[in-house]
Amino acid sequence: MEPLFRPPAQAITPRIQAAVLCIGVGFLILLFRLWYLQILDGDRYFALSTNNRLRVRPVEAPRGFILDRNGEILVENRPTFDLYTTPEDVTDPKEVAGILAEILGASPGEVEARFQEGHDRPYQPLLLRKDLDERMMVAVERRLDLPGVSLHVRPVHAYPSGGAAANLLGYVSEVNQTQLAREEYQDFLPGENIGQAGVERRFDAFIRGIDGGEQVEVDARGRALRLVSRIDPRSGSNVYLTIDKRIQDAAEAAFAGKKGTVVAMNPTTGEILAMVSRPSYDPNLFAQRLSGEEWQRIATDPSHPLANRAFQAQYPPGSIFKLMVAIAGLESGALTPETKFYDPGYFYLGSARLDDWKKGGHGWLDLRGAIVNSCNVYFYQAGLKVGIEDIVKTAREFGLGEPPGLGDEAKGNLPDPQPRKRGQPGWSAGNTVVASIGQGLVVTSPMQLLAMVSAIASGGTIYRPWVVKKITSLSGEILDEYEPEPMRHVPVKPETLAFIRQAMLGVVNEGTGTRAKVPGIPIGGKTGTAQLVRKGEGKGQADLKDHWWFVSFAPVDSPQIAVVVLVENGGFGGQVAAPVAKAVYEAAFGARQPFPRPGTRTAEANEPDIED
Amino acid sequence: MFDRRLVTHFDWWFAGMILGMACLGILTIYSANALAVSAFRRTLYLRQLTWVGIGVVAMVAACLVSYRTLARIAYVIFGLSLVLLVLVLLIGKAGLGAHRWIRIGGLAFQPSEFAKLGLVLFLARYFDDHRERLHEPRTMLVPAAFTALCMLLVLKQPDLGTALLLLFIALSIMLMLGLHWRYLVPFAVGGAAIAPLLWMVLKDYQRRRILVFLNPNLDPLGAGYHIAQSKIAVGSGGAFGKGWLAASQSQLNFLPLNHTDFIFAVLAEQWGFLGCLVVLLAYFYLISKGFRIARDCTDLFAALLSAGVSVMLVIQVLTNTAMVLGMMPVVGIPLPLLSYGGSSLLITMLGLGLLLNIHMRRFMY
Repeated sequence: MEPLFRPPAQAITPRIQAAVLCIGVGFLILLFRLWYLQILDGDRYFALSTNNRLRVRPVEAPRGFILDRNGEILVENRPTFDLYTTPEDVTDPKEVAGILAEILGASPGEVEARFQEGHDRPYQPLLLRKDLDERMMVAVERRLDLPGVSLHVRPVHAYPSGGAAANLLGYVSEVNQTQLAREEYQDFLPGENIGQAGVERRFDAFIRGIDGGEQVEVDARGRALRLVSRIDPRSGSNVYLTIDKRIQDAAEAAFAGKKGTVVAMNPTTGEILAMVSRPSYDPNLFAQRLSGEEWQRIATDPSHPLANRAFQAQYPPGSIFKLMVAIAGLESGALTPETKFYDPGYFYLGSARLDDWKKGGHGWLDLRGAIVNSCNVYFYQAGLKVGIEDIVKTAREFGLGEPPGLGDEAKGNLPDPQPRKRGQPGWSAGNTVVASIGQGLVVTSPMQLLAMVSAIASGGTIYRPWVVKKITSLSGEILDEYEPEPMRHVPVKPETLAFIRQAMLGVVNEGTGTRAKVPGIPIGGKTGTAQLVRKGEGKGQADLKDHWWFVSFAPVDSPQIAVVVLVENGGFGGQVAAPVAKAVYEAAFGARQPFPRPGTRTAEANEPDIED
Repeated sequence: MFDRRLVTHFDWWFAGMILGMACLGILTIYSANALAVSAFRRTLYLRQLTWVGIGVVAMVAACLVSYRTLARIAYVIFGLSLVLLVLVLLIGKAGLGAHRWIRIGGLAFQPSEFAKLGLVLFLARYFDDHRERLHEPRTMLVPAAFTALCMLLVLKQPDLGTALLLLFIALSIMLMLGLHWRYLVPFAVGGAAIAPLLWMVLKDYQRRRILVFLNPNLDPLGAGYHIAQSKIAVGSGGAFGKGWLAASQSQLNFLPLNHTDFIFAVLAEQWGFLGCLVVLLAYFYLISKGFRIARDCTDLFAALLSAGVSVMLVIQVLTNTAMVLGMMPVVGIPLPLLSYGGSSLLITMLGLGLLLNIHMRRFMY
């Protein structure tokens, strides 16, 4: 048999010579090809390159749908018509500009100026107006014979329920100048659309799909003579959220006319079931080309409609923070369920008198009673007994003062008690007293409080909040699926949490939160008021009313849903915030479809059997 | 103990040619993106400049240690590049729908580029170790297995072009070593048998590219569009070109990927046939010099290493230019030294540095 190898010493030299010979031939072939393209055919190609008769027109891919956890549509597509011009093809700019200006209700100068903008990108159609209304459509269709004018149909995302969940869903608009300068956007052209906030931005790569294109041969006036070829755009993927549309709708309805936020979450998984932030905006507006003024109006609105208050805003937690004082005390032993303090209606710290919210006071209270009645005087004394260090330590364990894990979040603040130093005002007993009822330096986002109450509900595990459940292709194939992700476990004794849950049940059944009561469903809650420091100075009163909180979960013995409600400048605490939570629970538990759906972690046997 | 002969044997011409080509690359990238809308695109040439700087350091470093030292750690380097290939699949950054990049700090690099050099080093060392047992067919098992593993990992990204490149590099090294021609027959037969299977594994865009090559009118907007526009750009350059910064075809976004895979088209439009001739001659000089270095080696490892590096270069140059000239399917193979892309540039300069290294130490062993 012939050997596999010739000895290398003999083989290498001749084979290298052969290789170099072959390579030389390869280079010669390339040179011949170049000669053919550049010398023999050069003139033809030169002509082709100066007058590109074959035009490529991108065809924007339809964005994928955004659906709720049960497949209900939250965001779909609708067709829109955009008016384009190719300036090189416009024979008489003055006349054409005049006609178009009349149709669009703009000034001829404006349209003519647009014709001038295309010089650095010859033969590319320039957008004149997005999303024509019906009247303009009819007028334009009659004048499509104008050279250099064309109408393109384009699918855009439509948000059937307008501003509902808008801050969570986000909106789509053209890539802006700042973005174009960045690396992530290097493949974007001006005028291309991109998800700009919320889910639309975070999952843009999945939702956007792959644009197609049309290659069109045009005549000397730029009109399409014939479609040479077309690649169909590939529609984007569908994104299923963890949101439950029924709960979302109920929360939106209950929150109508209010400012603030409502968030509902499954405390045993971290799935966000509903997220309302008000005031918000109508994402449909962004499909049109927003004028600079309109954009300015939204962006500089003093009520910040673009911010998602659920996790991008922060407020003093008020009485909600008493839960942290109670847990810290129970854990350190400074408090027991039997610890009693007397509330005469006021509390003297040195010579400063602090009133309880209830005139005449609550009298003798134990810890449960203090939580149920949200007694300030009790917690002033309890806070001093527990000490600020332990309170802050417990609050940190519950994730306060840290971003909750959704991205772009407010991280809140916890006080950093420093002993009094010479010449500097350090931490004082007064500070502790104020912090014990969640005022002063304590600041939290609604999402942080929701995570906190979820930990109390679920037995100490805090899950990363998540909003996207899965992503599927158009054919239904699952491209990506997300799972609950435990972020931290709060090292608190189960008895402590059980006690707190029972006390919170008392809040709703007999205390400050009775407005949240839903017959047949044991709900645990806690009310709170965020006092604004400037209150009482007498200017701009409407904006300076207190904010009202209600955090809660249900059912108390096997929690499936936790809700945080924050009403800005709301009026009267439990009266304003608690009914919103009630509406959420009614939607969650009252529906025919059992909740959560089969396959989630909670045993169905625990579910209350309620019909309304 | 520094041997003065190292300096006198250093090939300054060769090194100068490399640097000159890299600089030509920067100029071309600058002009290709000068009219780009994206401000990031307009500053790409600065990034390439940084990479050329890093490449020069790498080249000097590759000259300093003796290639003997390199032979000792060849397996480690190869192992490392395999780890990187696995890593990129797990944490890679997606570009054009493929996981090809790993990002460290502000720099992104492509492990598949490192794999090319890693594979060459591995094969050179392995065959050097087993030079007495080349006649036994089972000696071939290990290199065949590792080449296949590399290819699979790269295919998974997916990057068909680089996977095939790895196969050709491995085959060429074996041929160089004296593998009998007739043993290539099983490869050819096997290839024909696997082809339909491979077709099923291929991604849509890869299939389209192959189909388009067979019939360019099939899909003028996808790969066919690339080829058509690229031919217009090249052809319109004529004999002497339109001049730097004056190449409308390649600058005005008619030609996508103009600074990476299709940079030769930009060059051809700007400098015409004359410019292309000079560039191709420069490549031929570098490559044939590489093979001459391989021929003059007394040491099998060095011979295979320099032959491997030269093969790596020549395949990339020939396929990339043939693709730009519309003679090949569009595969994602960059043009060494000229295309924008740090990893490709760095690996090319490292490889050429190794050639310099072997050349200047040819008298020592």
